[in-house]
Amino acid sequence: MKVNVDLRLKDIPGQLVGALEPISANDGNIRGVVHHHDDRVGGRIAVNVTFEVRSEHALNKILEVWRKREVDVAKIDSFFETFPIQYLIVGSIPTKELESITKALESMENVAFIEVRYTGSANSSSRAALVTGKASKKETIASLDQFFKQRSEKHDYILIRGLD
Amino acid sequence: MKVVIAGFGTVGQGIAEVIGMRQELFSKSFGQQVKIVGAFDSSTIVKNARGLDPVELVRRKASTGTVGTRKVDGGVKELIEEYDFDTLIETTPTNILDAEPGYTHIMAALGSGKNVITSNKGPLALRFRELSKAAARNKVQLRYEASVGGAMPVINLSRELLRGEEIFSLRGILNGTCNFILNRMKDEGLPFEQALREAQEMGIAERDPSYDIDGVDSACKLAILANAIFGKDVTYNDVIRTGIRNITEDAIALAGEQNKVIRLIGEINKDRLEVSPRMVPNGHPLAIGGTLNIVQLLTDLAGEVTVVGRGAGRMETASAILSDLLAILSEDRAKGR
Repeated sequence: MKVNVDLRLKDIPGQLVGALEPISANDGNIRGVVHHHDDRVGGRIAVNVTFEVRSEHALNKILEVWRKREVDVAKIDSFFETFPIQYLIVGSIPTKELESITKALESMENVAFIEVRYTGSANSSSRAALVTGKASKKETIASLDQFFKQRSEKHDYILIRGLD
Repeated sequence: MKVVIAGFGTVGQGIAEVIGMRQELFSKSFGQQVKIVGAFDSSTIVKNARGLDPVELVRRKASTGTVGTRKVDGGVKELIEEYDFDTLIETTPTNILDAEPGYTHIMAALGSGKNVITSNKGPLALRFRELSKAAARNKVQLRYEASVGGAMPVINLSRELLRGEEIFSLRGILNGTCNFILNRMKDEGLPFEQALREAQEMGIAERDPSYDIDGVDSACKLAILANAIFGKDVTYNDVIRTGIRNITEDAIALAGEQNKVIRLIGEINKDRLEVSPRMVPNGHPLAIGGTLNIVQLLTDLAGEVTVVGRGAGRMETASAILSDLLAILSEDRAKGR
């Protein structure tokens, strides 16, 4: 999970170290620190920090320490790293099968969203269906690879994966 | 150096011509000539210990359909073993069922202490380890740059220039015919059958195209690369293979909506040895069009290394064989032979 925060620090020595220390203490990985010396609000200096943490739980612990240390958090953006889901299947694919695939994918853990687009009629032997979306874990892509491989082998579809 | 050319089709004739054209290079760089002292095709044989004229060999093949005047009477293996020459250039057609006759030719040469240069994928894709061991046992060289990607120098690049690198993975387009067909389907919205017919009319695809479009050719090349570059011990049969025969215009169009093209990609990494159609983003090096071959290697120090070249053709394949011939001459000179 990647996090970007705008902090407001008191203009006294040791404040920046005190703000960054809980990130490392919670196994976070600091990716960037930008000091805005000219941007003073209420006597505090603006600092922008980008870091990675393993979980929301770890982020909450960091925020708790900041609260105790009176580090103002002016703005916080957090976003998960995502992995693209890209599969194209070709063959005799009934509409029910497309619904079944959609349901199965929606119920999978760590699938953030999916979109299914398809062409051709339900009776066509060469219907093409494109499944795109995002997964929040790399391991999910391996599970999806397996899911589509098995499905394609069972129903004799041609499977076209995206390039990793 | 005395060479014998086994197989005198397009590739055999090409290398004969190139040997004729590069005599000055051989003399200047190595102080010796490369003499063709024998050649045979499926029905005839010709030999002369003092050397044969490459132009005359190619002319005779073109006018009579055969390279020699004497009938091959089944004694090719004995000829290779007993005849006095240094290097066999094996260019017979690929046979993916039992690797013959290439396998017998190569083993006979290696076993009798002769170097081998081959463009024939069959023996390498089916019995690579056996051939490599025979070369090592007999202290001779087995070189096969021409077996993968024609003029695209991927094997010698990986094994010689990138020798200090750890190569993590490889992926690429190893069959120009499939690439041409997929590209025509996308550019012109053609159905597969029509794009294939066009490729056949232009001489890009064979009359029986299954070897190309079912991914057999790419899988053979991938097995050779896996053995040669990654030190694996695999055959063509270990490659998971899906061809392009059932790719539809709809599939191409759906991929196009996502700004992607479909390409037949060969991939080697620690978990995968596979040839299959894949969606490739437009602008990616592997989205290349036409009949070109391309390979991307992911290495630890140099990062991504990409090599592109013409994957087939008389002079392109001869160019790869020439590079192997020069490597053998260099090695011989280094050893003071």
